[in-house]
Amino acid sequence: MAIIERPSTEIAVAGGATVGVKPSEALGVFKRPGASNSWRDWIVTVDHKKLGIMYGVAAFVFFIIGGIEALLIRLQLMGPDGKVLSADQYNQMFTMHATTMVFLFVMPMVSAFANYFIPLQIGARDVAFPRINAFGFWCWLFGGIFLNTSWFLGGAADGGWFMYAPNSSTLFSPSHGIDFWVLGLQITGIASLTGAINLIVTVLNMRAPGMKLMRMPIFTWMALVVQFLLLFAMPVITVALFLLSFQREFDATFFDVAAGADPLLWQHLFWIFGHPEVYILILPSFGIVSEVIPVFSKKPLFGYPIVAMSGAAIGFVGWGVWAHHMFASGLGPVSVAVFSMATMAIAVPTGVKIVNWIMTMWGGKLQFTTAMLFAIGLVVQFTIGGLSGVTHSVAPSDTQQTDTYYIVAHFHYVLFGGAIFGLFAGFYYWWPKMFRKQLNEGLGKVNFWLMVVGMNMTFGPMHILGLQGQPRRMGVWTEARAGEGFFNIGFWNMIASIGSFILAVGVLMFIINIVYTHKSKRVPIAPLDPWDARSLEWMTSSPPAEHNFDAIPTVNHLDEFFHRKYAEDPNSHEIKQVASAEEVLADLNSRPDEHIHMPSRSYWPILVALALPIICYGLIYNRLLMAVGAAFLLLTMFGWAMEPSTASDDDFDPPAPGEGGGHTKELAPLG
Amino acid sequence: MADTAVAHHTTTGLSNNKLGMWLFLGSECLLFGGLISTYMLYRGRTNTGPQPDQIYDIPFTSVSSFVLLMSSLTMVLAVSAANRKDDRNTNLWLTVTAILGATFVGGQVYEFTAFYREGLGFTTSLFGSSFYTLTGFHGVHVTVGIIMLMALVGMVRRNRIPGSKAETVELVGLYWHFVDIIWIVIFTLVYLIPS
Amino acid sequence: MKNPRRRFLSLAGAAAGLVAVAGCAKDAPQDTWQPAGPNAEMIDNLQRPVFLVAGIVGVIVFAAVAWVVFRYRDRGQAIPEQTHGKPAVEITLTVIPVLILIGVAIPTASTIFDLAKTDDTQMVINVTGQQWWWEYDYPAIGDNAAKYGLSQPIVTSGQLVIPENTKVLLRVTSRDVIHSYWIPKLNGKKDGVPGRVHLLRLEGSKPGIYAGQCTEFCGLSHSYMRMETIVLKRADFDAWVANQLAPYEAPAEGTLAKEGEALYIQQCSRCHQVNGLADAEGNLIVSAPEQYVVSGAAPNLTNLMTRNTFAGASWDLLTQECRDVVWKASADEFGAKYLAGVSADCLNQKDLREWLRNAPEKKPMYVDPTKLQETGGKYRGMPALGLTEDQIDALVAYLLERK
Repeated sequence: MAIIERPSTEIAVAGGATVGVKPSEALGVFKRPGASNSWRDWIVTVDHKKLGIMYGVAAFVFFIIGGIEALLIRLQLMGPDGKVLSADQYNQMFTMHATTMVFLFVMPMVSAFANYFIPLQIGARDVAFPRINAFGFWCWLFGGIFLNTSWFLGGAADGGWFMYAPNSSTLFSPSHGIDFWVLGLQITGIASLTGAINLIVTVLNMRAPGMKLMRMPIFTWMALVVQFLLLFAMPVITVALFLLSFQREFDATFFDVAAGADPLLWQHLFWIFGHPEVYILILPSFGIVSEVIPVFSKKPLFGYPIVAMSGAAIGFVGWGVWAHHMFASGLGPVSVAVFSMATMAIAVPTGVKIVNWIMTMWGGKLQFTTAMLFAIGLVVQFTIGGLSGVTHSVAPSDTQQTDTYYIVAHFHYVLFGGAIFGLFAGFYYWWPKMFRKQLNEGLGKVNFWLMVVGMNMTFGPMHILGLQGQPRRMGVWTEARAGEGFFNIGFWNMIASIGSFILAVGVLMFIINIVYTHKSKRVPIAPLDPWDARSLEWMTSSPPAEHNFDAIPTVNHLDEFFHRKYAEDPNSHEIKQVASAEEVLADLNSRPDEHIHMPSRSYWPILVALALPIICYGLIYNRLLMAVGAAFLLLTMFGWAMEPSTASDDDFDPPAPGEGGGHTKELAPLG
Repeated sequence: MADTAVAHHTTTGLSNNKLGMWLFLGSECLLFGGLISTYMLYRGRTNTGPQPDQIYDIPFTSVSSFVLLMSSLTMVLAVSAANRKDDRNTNLWLTVTAILGATFVGGQVYEFTAFYREGLGFTTSLFGSSFYTLTGFHGVHVTVGIIMLMALVGMVRRNRIPGSKAETVELVGLYWHFVDIIWIVIFTLVYLIPS
Repeated sequence: MKNPRRRFLSLAGAAAGLVAVAGCAKDAPQDTWQPAGPNAEMIDNLQRPVFLVAGIVGVIVFAAVAWVVFRYRDRGQAIPEQTHGKPAVEITLTVIPVLILIGVAIPTASTIFDLAKTDDTQMVINVTGQQWWWEYDYPAIGDNAAKYGLSQPIVTSGQLVIPENTKVLLRVTSRDVIHSYWIPKLNGKKDGVPGRVHLLRLEGSKPGIYAGQCTEFCGLSHSYMRMETIVLKRADFDAWVANQLAPYEAPAEGTLAKEGEALYIQQCSRCHQVNGLADAEGNLIVSAPEQYVVSGAAPNLTNLMTRNTFAGASWDLLTQECRDVVWKASADEFGAKYLAGVSADCLNQKDLREWLRNAPEKKPMYVDPTKLQETGGKYRGMPALGLTEDQIDALVAYLLERK
């Protein structure tokens, strides 16, 4: 049972510690933080659930920033010869919109869900490396803030999120924007890499007894595939970013054509990262939807092993298709043909998923909650994005469509209609788990329908714009190329712009829903199991106590929780409820675990992470500041290394009596 | 791990730290893969400054490569001493490994200086940029390894990590062997195969 | 809950409708569905069935979702059987897409190789991108010289002129960052990458003017890097070549244009070449854009008024009425209209004068001398020349004769 227990430390503890705090063994700079309910607890926390919530909140703030950037873009393109933004501002805007949405919203929002729910879904008490988990979060947050400070320091990056060389060299982009971009992504990349190692180890090593791989909830499965993709994709973009930063900061020649360099090197490196990145963004949402649809269909996921394996197959084949972003780059016909075929091949496992979702609903007992609506929205909209994706795999056709709005339409159907709708399904589905209250279903449906209408109005017409020849990344379009008749490029641009504001109102409804749910006195505490769910994360209190489970369950089935609530009548073969969720939990908690060891809070993760932007500001502006940052980094790393991975037991208050039983636990730390 | 104070139960049987290290090294393979590919793509495309065959000193680099290779052997000895809970020999072999590693890094510093004097700067040519970046990254990895070895020596001496000491030594060993293997690849591709 | 069902039906309908409307939208100059040459037709013949199949699959999926949503919504039925899958269904539904994709893959592969064919090339043109315009260089070699009268190289920009039904091979490259050459009605796009030459085949089967745009993001004024390809009947093409190669005619003494010539020599000829232009001593003037511009090139203005757009094809040299005459001419009449060039009456004075007055205000460019440390003081684009209105009059008069 003692999956996460660590040996208690043999370090001598300085006596006389006050409750919750004791002197640090190392350096003597900080007292080791203890438990408290103040904001400080969020700074020093290593609890995967708190980190998950922080990831979520911060990512949502970036979502709003990226959304405002998108609205400015649509305002600019609403009519011909737009004057809202200058050419320079427009280029910064679309670069940062993409960068923000990819690296600062979808990826960390996935981290939010993965951090919060993977340990709960596999029956673990925390992740494998809690301090590194906290470090990753702070790296990501500081990297994101660092990146966005460029707006106030001479302008943001203006090379597009793909940042093709040689347009990204100082000769062609003399502002510091790209310096901030390169270094900021390098910092956030640390979060992705450490997060990947952490979550893979967690999933492989810390599953509850009986939780075989093929009994894991499908969200955990997809998140696991994604972490492997990150593990191998991040180093590639890291290399590319190093090459570019060496070029910009130290005059290296990697992309200097006059010195014989080949600009396609960047493209290959970028897309070897960039294509797996697409699956990094979408697979977790596939996972969420594969949780939500079975719950609201009252059926298990149809073809669970096939869905899991097709996720793995997508992850695998995803490495062999990167050059389909480069069909116009001048690869030879043989390469083009090979990558074209590989891209078609990846459509098969993707199509399998859609089939399985529909088959899950087939013969079910469908409840159209907001979460379910968002999930079905993903199925439909992702199908559109997937089919337009198949048309790109036809390389000759793609040479007409690449770099036009048709591509913009395609990947927004995949990433907004797919990934983000999946995330919203997750918000509505898991909200009561995380915050004890259900988001309002009425407002939720308004939110959903506004987003559906807005999303399809914004991105649907872009298919037409692209096929009529409007290229992307253009700050202005001209009447002269708009065509004649009423339904010309001008008309569809106007529709798209109007749609984008409807979409924004839809997102606003979500925020209003959150405020209403948590401010209104009329919203009751959510029941333990509001959706009649199927997986382990619902088999504990909401929100879960710091140690997640009073008793780690033993898993005998896929959908363990469902099987504890329902059984098949051996005579009539009808599925009958045999226990309520409360009864299941009470039964589980009747034999609570003893000696639950939990990780210690620490100041060091945030401090080490803080050193990184300081170094990067120094690299851009002042080498002395860089030295200060480096010294700070070394000191804080030393402090971290010298802090024992486990603090002693008297560091902690006994936990407050929890919802789920009120056993007072010995909460000893874990590394 | 029968001799550790408390056996940690994990699903795979591997400790979290060891599994994490393996994953990290897997990721590192792609990092060096990217750097090596960059070097290989740009070999022979340099039109200014010294060419590789003009400045490589193969005998010298072979010797320092041999030194680094030997350090893997001493690392194995250190791990086996740690498994026997033989602190004295653990420290001895860790120290020797660190010294051999430092010798290699020293050789690299000398080599860089010599190349620089012969006109190959970091910004001179594609060869200069990609050579220094690749070998520099490797040198930094060796240096980090040396720091970890020294830290281990200190920790073993102060008996700070008794329970899982052997495993910590083993983890550093994994990293060290990885860095050595990467060097063999670099030495073969960069130095030995003529452009 | 009838909403979801209605939603899916309407979505499916909307998707079908959108496709239909897209087909109906008229005369977008860069429409990718109106091929005007064999290369674009090859692509079109491939993409139409693919889009159709994709559309059908989409409708089937939407119909399935709509059916499921309608049929299996919660009407209080019993909890369904906890079935985990039906291998027969799964295998069938995996094999079907595989078969469809094989059906798509085979013609795709053959088209890829057909489009890459170059062995029957009839004419070669070097196409070079730079921030933010295209230069065309017709080398006087091989068939170009032997069969198409290109006894001397022709260097032009903005509008690429090619003869009808001729297999023209573009050798696309770049002088600075990556650009992409794209004339949708004639072929797909191909990147112009510095240090590399990529091949792109164009062939036009109907005389006319075909619009395109640089489609690889190339920095500040990427939106203002447009181009056209002009397809002429063979006889018209020959006339065009002859005109391009005709010797320089200096403006008559005492005219405003003559003043303009002096001003041109003083202000413009540092970067912009006019072939045959000579100074007072009769020495030919050779421009040296490499000294002033990062890309090392500036458009050749020898025959500016034979083209009807300028500044990266971003603005028309023709007034709206005269432009319509050319752009909307029938295939038979097009050649004559195009070869007429820009007359004084037809000249779009407004945009050209604004350009001469302050180019960077019209088209964003990097010309601020205080911000050019990285480039050693070289511009990326054309600076404001600080001309007076009288000087602009003279220059316009001079440029009007460049045809």
